[in-house]
Amino acid sequence: MLGYTLKRLLTLIPTLLVASILIFLFVHLIPGDPASILLGDSATPEEIASLSAHMGLDRPLWQQYLVWFKNVLHGDFGQSIFFKTPVLEVIADGAETSICLALMTMFWIVLIGIPVGIVSASFHGSWVDQITSGGAMLLASIPTFWLGLYLILIFSVGLGWFPSSGFPSISDEGGLSNLRYLILPSLTLAAPNAALIVRLVRASMLDVSREDHVRTARAKGLHPARVSIKHVFRNALIAVAAAFGFTFAALVSEAVVTETVFSLPGIGRLVVQSILRRDYPVIQGVILLIVLLYLVINLLVDLAYARLDPRVSLQ
Amino acid sequence: MTLRTTIAAVFRGRKLAALGAVWLCIITVAAIGAQFIAPFDPLEIDPIARLSEPGLPYLFGTDHFGRDTFSRAVYGARMALIIGIGSVLVALICGGLIGLLSAYFSTLGHFLMRIIDVLMAFPALLLALVLMTLLERSVINTVIVIGIVYATTTARIFFGMTLKLKNEVFIDAARCSGAGHGSILFRHILPNLWSPLLVQASFIFAFAQLQAAALDFLGLGLPPEVASWGNMLAEEKIYITRAPWLLMFPGALIILSVFSMNLVGDAMRDSIDPRFKNDIAGI
Repeated sequence: MLGYTLKRLLTLIPTLLVASILIFLFVHLIPGDPASILLGDSATPEEIASLSAHMGLDRPLWQQYLVWFKNVLHGDFGQSIFFKTPVLEVIADGAETSICLALMTMFWIVLIGIPVGIVSASFHGSWVDQITSGGAMLLASIPTFWLGLYLILIFSVGLGWFPSSGFPSISDEGGLSNLRYLILPSLTLAAPNAALIVRLVRASMLDVSREDHVRTARAKGLHPARVSIKHVFRNALIAVAAAFGFTFAALVSEAVVTETVFSLPGIGRLVVQSILRRDYPVIQGVILLIVLLYLVINLLVDLAYARLDPRVSLQ
Repeated sequence: MTLRTTIAAVFRGRKLAALGAVWLCIITVAAIGAQFIAPFDPLEIDPIARLSEPGLPYLFGTDHFGRDTFSRAVYGARMALIIGIGSVLVALICGGLIGLLSAYFSTLGHFLMRIIDVLMAFPALLLALVLMTLLERSVINTVIVIGIVYATTTARIFFGMTLKLKNEVFIDAARCSGAGHGSILFRHILPNLWSPLLVQASFIFAFAQLQAAALDFLGLGLPPEVASWGNMLAEEKIYITRAPWLLMFPGALIILSVFSMNLVGDAMRDSIDPRFKNDIAGI
């Protein structure tokens, strides 16, 4: 187990290195010179050149990369061109919204996705299964932003139950009741992902239910519900946990859209706006942190998987 | 097995999937014959009839420029088909080749699959957003970018399937009878992968629609003047309170098409070689 952990940790380093080079290249190939964007239309070529030199933009690309990477290792992601503050501060400002949104979304996914998946698999082939698994597929076919827009139209504009946009910090006036701003966004974000979990729980439960130990449990005369939960679901959960890394990636993608629809001050909207503003340091920093988070989550998932199923680490 | 019996086998007992296939045929007909079906020019502006309700002569109503929503939706079907087929081709050709070659030549594969691993660490939409920013907004660039994003998963899937086939006895037999690498790859391995390839294609087609719509919505997809379902939603989103039906039609068209493609893919997956069934992840 220790050997496996070390091996997995070591493979993380080259992946992260290549990812950082890719991110740096992608962002620097984006057309548009940040110095001229920063100075506006009235700037003279001399002013632009001097600012470029000041920002280090006139040096060869590989030198710029090395400087950036060295600073990143020291925890310095540079200054945002737009906000004129350190990138980490800009990201930290959006973190509260995105973390609250993610937690609330996970709450809906677990609350709705897993029970519906169990029901769907337990009644495999019946009309209950057809409606739930078909419904899940339909839900996963809805564009996130379209769902968000209609939820706003119905529940904010029409019924006035929830606010339609923004998110004041929970440390501001209102406290935890500010979380009501996140109810519609988290439902929007949860819909396609809960649907994925329903399909996943169903598929892995059906796989497990064909195994010998399940047949034994049934043959012993255990109650079908007990077999479903204790013997099938618990084993199927391993496969569901293994797909958590994939869910995280899907969640980030859709959070970008959802935060834009609901004008939430989170990291997802920050990415889109930084791209539109050509704010290089912020784009680089955010994407690098997201990739790092994804790799760490996948590593933890793999380690947990190896712990739950010892056959994995022996391969 | 003839084509007819294959199709019958895929859709047997799956009425919903068969309906999905019918819907996809309708979309295809609309896409091909758009200029004969659309009653108006999708770009023609009628300022007096701005934001008019569904009825006659504007079946689905008009947008804030007074353009006919129905005609734009019909031309949007053409765009949906171009985006779908284009991204499928890019993803399958790039991803399929990388996967096939990586599994067959293990030294090359070690290197290529590491790169794929790195690319897969980027969430799909984020990768598409950054790549779109590098390029101009155009139909072909959108197709290429979405294709590249899904080439990564395709490569991974093909890598796994080729590895399984590589050690089969019939490959050894082909090698013993003097077949070269090219012949083994493309005449012995690839033909066994046609049906999983088709299933993967249907899922990519479905995902590509959602991805393209999201890019359009964020203002980084197709050029704004192109009549696509995503652009129709993006342009009219601020009029949703004044004309709630406006976003209903393009939205419903996207949902129906994606849902149909997923249903058809799911039905096909159940009838392919059981060895490969778990390799392909759809919805």
